[in-house]
Amino acid sequence: METVTLTIDGRAVTVQKGKTVLHAAIEAGISVPYYCYHPGLGVDGSCRVCIVRIEKMPKLQTSCSTTCADGMVVSTRAADVVDARASVLEFLLVNHPLDCPVCDKGGECPLQDFAYTFGPNESRMDFPRRVFDGEGVKADVDFGPTLMLNRNRCILCTRCVRFMKEVDGDAQIGIVDRGYGSEIATFQEEGVHSLISGNLMDVCPVGAITTRDYRFKSRPWDNPAVVDTICTLCSKGCNTSAWLKAKPEWAKASQLIRMTPRFNPAVNGYWMCDIGRFNYHWIEGETRVRRPMLRRADGLEKVSWHEAEPRLRDRIQAAGSADPSGVRFLASAHTDTESLFVLKQLVEGLLGPDGLSAVTVTWTRSEKRQPPGTTFTVPSTNAPNVNGARDLGYRIGRGNDGQPDDADLRGDVAAGKIHALYVIDPGPDGSLGDVSWILEARLNGTLPLLVVQTVALSELAAAADVVLPGAAYVEKDALYTNEQGLVQAVSQAIAPPGEALEDWEVLTRVAKSLGLALGHQQSRDVRRAIAAAMPDTPYADADKVAFARPVSARNWLQASNPSERWKWDFMFLDLPPVKGHSVQTEGTPMEGAFIPLKPV
Amino acid sequence: MAYEPVLVKHVAEPNAYTLDSYLKHQRGYEGLRKALTFTPNDIIEQVKASGLRGRGGAGFPTGLKWQFVLKDTPKPKYIACNADESEPGTFKDHVLMERNPHLLIEGCAIGCYAIGAKVAYIYIRGEFYHVQEILEAEIEKAYAAGYLGKNIFGSGFNCDVYVHRGAGAYEAGEETALIESLEGKRAQPRLKPPFPAVAGLYQCPTAVNNVETLCNVPPIVLNGPEWFTGLGPDKNGGPKLFCVSGHVKRPGVYEASMHTTLRQLIYDEQYAGGMLDGRTFKAIIPGGSSVPLLLEAHLDTPASFDDIQKAGSLLGSAGLIVLDDSVCMVWLAMNLLHFYRHESCGKCTPCREGGDWLYKLLQRVERGEGQEKDIDLLFGVANNILGKTLCAFGDAAATPVLTTLKLFRAEYEAHVREGRCTIPAEWRAKQPVFAHAH
Ligand SMILES: Cc1cc2nc3c(=O)[nH]c(=O)nc-3n(C[C@H](O)[C@H](O)[C@H](O)COP(=O)(O)O)c2cc1C
Ligand code: SF4
Ligand code: SF4
Ligand code: SF4
Ligand code: FES
Repeated sequence: METVTLTIDGRAVTVQKGKTVLHAAIEAGISVPYYCYHPGLGVDGSCRVCIVRIEKMPKLQTSCSTTCADGMVVSTRAADVVDARASVLEFLLVNHPLDCPVCDKGGECPLQDFAYTFGPNESRMDFPRRVFDGEGVKADVDFGPTLMLNRNRCILCTRCVRFMKEVDGDAQIGIVDRGYGSEIATFQEEGVHSLISGNLMDVCPVGAITTRDYRFKSRPWDNPAVVDTICTLCSKGCNTSAWLKAKPEWAKASQLIRMTPRFNPAVNGYWMCDIGRFNYHWIEGETRVRRPMLRRADGLEKVSWHEAEPRLRDRIQAAGSADPSGVRFLASAHTDTESLFVLKQLVEGLLGPDGLSAVTVTWTRSEKRQPPGTTFTVPSTNAPNVNGARDLGYRIGRGNDGQPDDADLRGDVAAGKIHALYVIDPGPDGSLGDVSWILEARLNGTLPLLVVQTVALSELAAAADVVLPGAAYVEKDALYTNEQGLVQAVSQAIAPPGEALEDWEVLTRVAKSLGLALGHQQSRDVRRAIAAAMPDTPYADADKVAFARPVSARNWLQASNPSERWKWDFMFLDLPPVKGHSVQTEGTPMEGAFIPLKPV
Repeated sequence: MAYEPVLVKHVAEPNAYTLDSYLKHQRGYEGLRKALTFTPNDIIEQVKASGLRGRGGAGFPTGLKWQFVLKDTPKPKYIACNADESEPGTFKDHVLMERNPHLLIEGCAIGCYAIGAKVAYIYIRGEFYHVQEILEAEIEKAYAAGYLGKNIFGSGFNCDVYVHRGAGAYEAGEETALIESLEGKRAQPRLKPPFPAVAGLYQCPTAVNNVETLCNVPPIVLNGPEWFTGLGPDKNGGPKLFCVSGHVKRPGVYEASMHTTLRQLIYDEQYAGGMLDGRTFKAIIPGGSSVPLLLEAHLDTPASFDDIQKAGSLLGSAGLIVLDDSVCMVWLAMNLLHFYRHESCGKCTPCREGGDWLYKLLQRVERGEGQEKDIDLLFGVANNILGKTLCAFGDAAATPVLTTLKLFRAEYEAHVREGRCTIPAEWRAKQPVFAHAH
């Protein structure tokens, strides 16, 4: 790597050639504010707040647009820089509503944070503020199906404009009018229609763009913990963070409150799609299965595991002893690697070395309508682990890029050859695709036993004889292999509800009740077995994977807005605590003010 | 020795704009014919030797600018002629294009030849509708006569000239905003570097040259660089157009050498002919509305780039706005900030927010509702814009406030003290200054 060395505030800083002064400062833990700059977007140089002094240059320079050069001497604290920066912040605030207590961004707002740290102590502005669509909540206007816009809060950083142009590929957002009257707008006020619209909330450094899903549902300080995890709603495997909201004292456990993207240059960059961001409500939804259920004469009855297991054993044994080839499994490709591995052990234990032939892996595909120029494509395969299943030896037809191959199973079920069908469906609802053929077989009595291990009381589960409560992807530590063949770790953010268990554990219990002692006590044991069984593969280190634990969101708030999280991830350091501490007035930042983080 | 006009000598004649007149009186297209017998680099060297400085405002040497145009590239290169002329008090390019269009067309062609371009775009101000019509008609004539198009004068050199009309924005005259606008985008400036000479129109090497600048090129090629340098002071050679406006007897465009002093331009009979009857000179803005004021004491300064700068202002677009003692300086600043507030492109924070703030403060003080602290605030806000914006517009917007405060602070204080405008000229009411106020 070619490097250059420059001096920033008296410190020698060495960075990769081609980096900007702003980047170098952030990397060195030197706090420089910025708004129009975003690492995932082109440089704009328009907000002017990242201004610094560079020796031998007549004017102050914007650090976001100045490339580092050897021997450059930069000051972020010279008196003229401090003044200039404060003046830009004053300008940004003259027309800002300054009603942070009722703004959804309050508490995680770079405008708030930088204004406290670098801004003037008071505003000298005494004219009425600029108002676009109305005062107060009247300013909140529709901005498409997923978003709301408040132009009064907008600081015209144009990050949203550039996101749509450069990342989405369809420049739906523009600026109308000019100068003082400039406002963010879409054609004929149609709003933003995009599969990746939620990122606009992240890139917006103020409370101007909010998601309908999250706005006013929580406050940053009510979200005590955040867990780094992976989205499993398609085969891309975006790296994400699951935000947890504290429940009131009288309630147990916390609540999943939002998903935000986490920087991973190899997978998702800074972004995630709206499916992954907004489709999490089913996890803690109404139809969630929390206890095992058995079919009685008058329908499904909630029971304990101890009641469910003997009944399940008896019925499977009965079906299997009559005709072992009449016992089949249908696993969603949403099933994690650990569970697929235990399932493999189970079927091989029950049916012998060719046990995997009794399992059909299924998933759905849908073409996502995205602009041709998009730089963030959402794959068609709506399941996270097709490649994981393939690596374990499951028969998956054309694999990740093709349709699942369930023709044999369909034929056999229709022909009445199947006596027991065991379905694994860790959600979300619908991810098995068409199940009408199973329902039909149940109705006309050709499928005598249906076991459904699931998270939601789906139509299929409602038709089952035995329902076993499994866990959704945010409820377990587990591995998934994405479309690129990358083995990624999903970390547990919340516990499975009620008596629900992680799917490997459900399967281990089922195996045990059928007389197969697999010996797994924890999911780590399964990964150890995977590592041992698959040396010289990407799974060889499965037992060494470190899963993320909830991190106090306090740390995150220093990174302001979720989209600023990139700094934590690849620079390890971030701003010192902002409130009440001003870097430029205190000389060197306080010891301990930085919270070092490990790279992920 | 009386100065012999070069650029506008014939413009008053009815047919001045025609190709016939151009061929007859101005040795039309002889410069181009001659240029094509030299190498492109020779032409650049000749323009460099002439010391021609850009007439658009900054006074940057044109030969150097052409030399900077990236040579080593497979990309096409372009001349973008800046005909946006929107600086208040500036109306010289207008005359050239309307009355002497072939001079510009010839200048464009020679410019293209020099930098290795095949296409010149004349980016013309949105309001110059009729000028565009004239230009386009005359460009057609030039094509028909073989001065544009393929294989000009059998030299193998091809050149096309197009006129592109803007939507009417002052900021579109900033060179990178002009390029954006030419590309069909909002007229907002780009970050520099890269400069247009490296990555301009469609990211290709581009020379942005003012109309008057390009009009000087044919005579330089025809008459030689020494002729050009000989016309003016050192480093300020050649003919120059001055737009004299304000409280003078004969406002207008005057061609003179840059030896000519501000006083001559205001008072001489051949120029503006003196102040309006009964009026007394108070101040002059010598370079369009964006530059600092000069006073009586400066009037003997030659109107050259360097001399005006030495006197504390800038020659800018050579729009000499002459102000008499009926002009209230607070009102003047307010009037100009009304313009800058309206024309700010809004891309960068200090200009977008600061311009409006200044305007509101000026309105308040002018109405007599201001306080002492508003005067300090005006100074503070203007200083906070100065030097901190993305393009030079910010400095232009801050300057009227800073220069009037520096030279006429007492007038601001009088407004505050007396709670009214202390110099309420009666002619002001007749001017619909706020015709398009928001
Ligand atoms: C706000 C602003 C407006 C400008 N307007 C014009 C204009 O109308 N015409 C012009 O020739 N140059 C204008 N300029 C200067 C151009 O940016 C550029 O310097 C000039 O066109 C270069 O041509 P020259 O070297 O021939 O002077 C403007 C600059 C700024 C910052
Ligand atoms: S809406 Fe947000 S992201 Fe878009 S320009 Fe305004 S402040 Fe920036
Ligand atoms: S692209 Fe796929 S992995 Fe990424 S957020 Fe969307 S659904 Fe989740
Ligand atoms: S200084 Fe004004 S005109 Fe220039 S970029 Fe900034 S806002 Fe636009
Ligand atoms: S962050 Fe550098 S100008 Fe906006």
